[in-house]
Amino acid sequence: MKFDKNKIKIIICAIAGTTLSWFINHEIGFGAIVASGLVGVIAAILLPASLAGTAYTASFVGMSSTSIIPSLGAALLAGLIVGIMIIFTTEIYAGIGGKGGTTAALSTIITKIILGLFS
Amino acid sequence: MIILVAICAGTATYSISYLLNKGPVFASALVTLISGIFLPYFLPENGPTLMAVAACASYAGQVSNKNVPNLREMIMVSLITGALFIIFSTSYVGIGGRLGSIAAISCFTWMGIKKVFKNDNLQDNKISYINKVNFSEK
Repeated sequence: MKFDKNKIKIIICAIAGTTLSWFINHEIGFGAIVASGLVGVIAAILLPASLAGTAYTASFVGMSSTSIIPSLGAALLAGLIVGIMIIFTTEIYAGIGGKGGTTAALSTIITKIILGLFS
Repeated sequence: MIILVAICAGTATYSISYLLNKGPVFASALVTLISGIFLPYFLPENGPTLMAVAACASYAGQVSNKNVPNLREMIMVSLITGALFIIFSTSYVGIGGRLGSIAAISCFTWMGIKKVFKNDNLQDNKISYINKVNFSEK
């Protein structure tokens, strides 16, 4: 996989989206729905459309409970994984509502498996 | 109530996205945020469930207008989303992206239904065309 500037931006946005959503959800205690909505609105206002979509997709991963993603470090790892997943799945099922959520769910499950290997 | 909230959230997202031209991410995030703030406030008993339903339907509302070209079809997709939310209410709880997956399944279900009916119509047209040709030959 060739890393260009755009892919690095996607990964940074994904990590930021996941960690921010997880932080608002669990540390501030606003809950998963508000956390994801807040990250999505901020991303849609501040970022260009494609990167806003990335950050919003990543925010779905941050909606996970602490039994799945227990710490901010795990959220960082999950953000990295969802970023890679978004890069690999850009062309697949574009324009289907919920594609981002499905990508996020798969990334969350992969993160859980990786965390399970080290615990 | 779940189906009603799903229809409202889905159509609201679709309307903000395409009729107001604000884009799917902003539309879905706005509907999710508003439902996350107001539904638990006004409906303290069912609020947490209903805001999850609204978020789920808003993800489905992000669908492209090539796949769901009008608001009537969006109502059908939202209806399927609400029904699937009830069916999958105990599955994969706590996994981030679960609601989005339900939304994706709803969109695929609707597109599948559309395809089946389209093929049926095509087949009917084909049969009537063949009958017409046969009659004219006779």
